[in-house]
Amino acid sequence: MLEIEGLNCYYGKIEAVRNLSLKVEKGQLVTLIGANGAGKSTTLKSISGILPASSGRILFEGEDITKASARTILDLGIAHCPEGRRVFPYMSVQENLDMGCFRRSDPKQIESDLEGIFDRFPILKERRLQMAGTLSGGEQQMLAIGRALMSRPKFVLFDEPSLGLAPNLVKTTFDIISEIRDQDVTVLLVEQNAYAALALCDHAYLLESGEVTLQGTGEELKGNDYVREAYLGG
Amino acid sequence: MAEFLQHILNAIVLGGTYALLGIGLTLIFGIMKVVNFTHGELYSFGAYMIFMFSAMLGLNFFLAIILSMVLGVLLGGIIEFALLRPLRGANIDTTMLVMIGAWIVMQNLEQLSWGGVAKSINHPFPLDPLVIGEVSVSWIRVFVFFFAVILIIGSYYLINNTKLGKSMRATFQDRDIAALMGVNINRVYTATFALGSGLAATAGALLGPVFVVTPTMGDMAALKAFAIVILGGLGSIAGATIGGFILALAEEMGAGYISSGYRDAMGFILIILVLIFRPTGLFALKERYG
Repeated sequence: MLEIEGLNCYYGKIEAVRNLSLKVEKGQLVTLIGANGAGKSTTLKSISGILPASSGRILFEGEDITKASARTILDLGIAHCPEGRRVFPYMSVQENLDMGCFRRSDPKQIESDLEGIFDRFPILKERRLQMAGTLSGGEQQMLAIGRALMSRPKFVLFDEPSLGLAPNLVKTTFDIISEIRDQDVTVLLVEQNAYAALALCDHAYLLESGEVTLQGTGEELKGNDYVREAYLGG
Repeated sequence: MAEFLQHILNAIVLGGTYALLGIGLTLIFGIMKVVNFTHGELYSFGAYMIFMFSAMLGLNFFLAIILSMVLGVLLGGIIEFALLRPLRGANIDTTMLVMIGAWIVMQNLEQLSWGGVAKSINHPFPLDPLVIGEVSVSWIRVFVFFFAVILIIGSYYLINNTKLGKSMRATFQDRDIAALMGVNINRVYTATFALGSGLAATAGALLGPVFVVTPTMGDMAALKAFAIVILGGLGSIAGATIGGFILALAEEMGAGYISSGYRDAMGFILIILVLIFRPTGLFALKERYG
């Protein structure tokens, strides 16, 4: 479904991603693990079109989206749930969700999708008219996920969804992500919490200083001595 | 007491147009991060347009105001498209210099086209003032006030209740994420600049008939607009509205009780006080970076 070939990305003059290639099959949950600054977020940003790639190719369902705008990529069915949640702080919960379906014009479907989000996250319904900036971190994460789902994506990029959340919420977040995959939405998940991500995924890539150094199924990476030593705490 | 009430009334009437100027600038400043030095020139452009349509061509006064508004919006759109769009992502200093250049060019074009002599514009309102108890106000000022209030309400509605307004607020709060949601950032910028410029031109078209029209009238208007934005806080329409009325009140009181020579100084005294005691402005929204 998504195929990246020889991607290079620069942040100013710093090369953040070097010759990265990866593949995500339809219906899979694929994870990118790696340390801070390994280039995981950069990869997601270049997929969703907010950070242009300097070379390489990104194909989505066979279509070249390397140079496409964020808007075109969204229209093709890719949603990006960004690192740090990034909800619009001075907009209500409802308005944040409205922004999620900014490009859609099917009011009936939107209404039923909204009900779906509220069923999944009842707290958002309760806080519907509250400013998103006043929500707790966990609630903001739910809102960010809900906002991403409001575009009816075929493919969702999650960037560090568990970052800064209390342990019980971390589990909830991963449960939700695997539910999303079970509803036939393909997921590319970036995580520092390698243990949880590897337990969840169909396939995993290890990223180090902008390069893929290891890949395999979650089990394979979990069993790898180097990964255990460096990323799973021995 | 009558004198005091008269100052309050004058301040309210003037505050409406100040608020228009401030809202226009705070939108542009807040959403686009462009220090818009042409704002005052859009104000004088509006004033010259109503002079042209109403005094020269003899069109209906109200129609002339509407035409000035529309042309202000158009001119704003053109400036954004021709000058700012190619500079997207450029250093803020570069953009600032280009806008200063545009300001000088526009002011001199006005002087070239209309000459340096002050123009006055007749209006269809009775010259006898409206007297309420011990205070009085001219009918043109009453009209200007209500017209401004309608536009302020319209701006609130646009920003809070329309899809364009929502995309403008989203862009202000987090530009990258707004783009991720599918907002066309370029379109939001053009719309913002056109709207802000239209409000400035309308303020000029409304005050042109109250005062006189000169090529340099925009300079003081721009400085006042900046004062209002600093008072109200970046990107806050409510702040700009209240800021506009506070500035008008300070000017009226300063002129009335200290000396009329200090009228224009009051705004700057206010800026200094705000910058010392509450540098983010009275009603600032925090934007996010990164």
